[in-house]
Amino acid sequence: MTRLLLRCIAIAALCLGGALAPPSAHAGDVAAGSDVFKSECAECHSVRAGRNKKGPSLFAVVGRAAGTLPGYNYSDALRAARWTWTPEKLHGYLSQPASTANPGTRMKYDGLADPRDLDDLVAYLGTLHP
Amino acid sequence: MLSFLNRRTRRRPGNAHLWYGLAALLLFASSTAQAVPSYARQTGAACADCHAGAYGPALTPYGMRFKLNGYTDTDGNGGKLPLAAQLIATRSIPARGESTTRLTEADLYLAGRLTDQVGGYVKVENSNTGNNTFRTRLNNVDLRFVARDLKLGDREATLGVSVNNNPGFQDPIAALPGAAGIGPPSVSGTLLNLSALAHRVIGASVYGLYDSTWYGEVGSYTALPTSQQDHLGYAVSGDPGKLSDTGYFRFAWMKDLKRQFVSAGVVALSTRRQLPRSGPRDDITDLGYDLSYQFLGNREHIVQLSYTNILEKRRYGSTPASPSTPGLAARTRGAVRDQTTSLTYTFRQSYGITLAHLVNSGSRDAVRYTPYGVPDTTSNLVGVFWAPFGKDDSYTSLANLKLAATWFRFARFNGSRTNVFGAAPGSATPVTDARDLDAFSLSLSAAF
Repeated sequence: MTRLLLRCIAIAALCLGGALAPPSAHAGDVAAGSDVFKSECAECHSVRAGRNKKGPSLFAVVGRAAGTLPGYNYSDALRAARWTWTPEKLHGYLSQPASTANPGTRMKYDGLADPRDLDDLVAYLGTLHP
Repeated sequence: MLSFLNRRTRRRPGNAHLWYGLAALLLFASSTAQAVPSYARQTGAACADCHAGAYGPALTPYGMRFKLNGYTDTDGNGGKLPLAAQLIATRSIPARGESTTRLTEADLYLAGRLTDQVGGYVKVENSNTGNNTFRTRLNNVDLRFVARDLKLGDREATLGVSVNNNPGFQDPIAALPGAAGIGPPSVSGTLLNLSALAHRVIGASVYGLYDSTWYGEVGSYTALPTSQQDHLGYAVSGDPGKLSDTGYFRFAWMKDLKRQFVSAGVVALSTRRQLPRSGPRDDITDLGYDLSYQFLGNREHIVQLSYTNILEKRRYGSTPASPSTPGLAARTRGAVRDQTTSLTYTFRQSYGITLAHLVNSGSRDAVRYTPYGVPDTTSNLVGVFWAPFGKDDSYTSLANLKLAATWFRFARFNGSRTNVFGAAPGSATPVTDARDLDAFSLSLSAAF
């Protein structure tokens, strides 16, 4: 009886833990994220490796140390930030104006207000790897 | 190239042969593309980032910002040579008159940035005038000084100066005729329409953009001396006259919603003109408004819609008498209006269709507008194009290409659908109906 009770409590705890999981653990829609990228980011950023535009290439950006892509002239502000572009860091950075997230940046972006769009975009960026 | 349309000399039916080439010239004007690869090289951007159809001239909001920033944006990777070139070959088939296939244009662009604050656009056009004769002309000029990233309160602002030779070409929204490259053909059009002043004046304006939303511009122009116009490749017969007290004013609201763009603006041009230069003065005021909308989405399907309406009020310095009706004189005051409605749909920024409805209308004056007393001209344009390159993932980024087919149809010309020049019955001059001025053209443009 005690073993059965303990088993039920464990199952209930797992279910409750799943229900209370933070929103960022929700998997984004990659196809929708590609659309978000095209309308929000593609003017300044390419997803092709080695193709820098006004902004650096975002190929393999997830997991990359910020300001380290060779061949792109980053602002001092980003070089000094010493971030790593984890999904969580990207999420936070893109949710606000770039000038607020990284004062002194050359990036001109007002931020993405919709959390679903943010999830989708970060999910899409995560697919850009070799 | 449409300057002879806006001359205020009376047209004689004997000059009808001039009009047979008119439609071809009009197609030429409406399909003139302004792709500038030197800008793409300078910024690292694809042509399609600034131009919805990947070849121009219609601008995306990103392209408008590049223009507002004085053509100075870069990819930070050192200076690039601000040189580009364009070749255009055209097969032109007018409803009446000779069909031609020729290299119609060879252009050189000096277009790019000198410093963070100074940039510009200069187009030198070499156009084929027939019989393998090329005429070199200074086309659009827009030189800029810009102060960017200013702060007014907690909002961003940009201030700049534009020195240009075509009122409206410098406009960022690119809805005005000088920038859009399209305006109603007419026998008497507004000064802000395509050709009245274009390239024969020089002026400067100060402009500002506040919070990426509010745009204002104030400037002035003066006409170039006729000798200077001639040096720059423009026939003296198209002289717009001596201009004094000329003011240009532009105010617009725009909103870039990333997936959509919307704008509304007003424009004004006021001048005192003497044509001929020693003659009496006409007071002319243009007042216009324009609306534009773009659906951009994820750029798979783009729709661009724009409407411009320019009213010109004139107080004439002379009232010539009618040569045929004793006691009848031209009116002291008059007005004309130019309206352009255009709709473009682009698929994958490679295939597109443009529909344009162009209306010129004017107040009645039996002496100035013969034989029907009004200048009213209505025309329609249908164009399709294919621009295979100019995108991020295009086969080549070294060159850009556009193949376009354009149909130009006149519903009304010089106030009538039929016998538009009022040829007398039985005269040697053939009767010309509005539809006789229609034309079709096929053009291939390549930019390097």
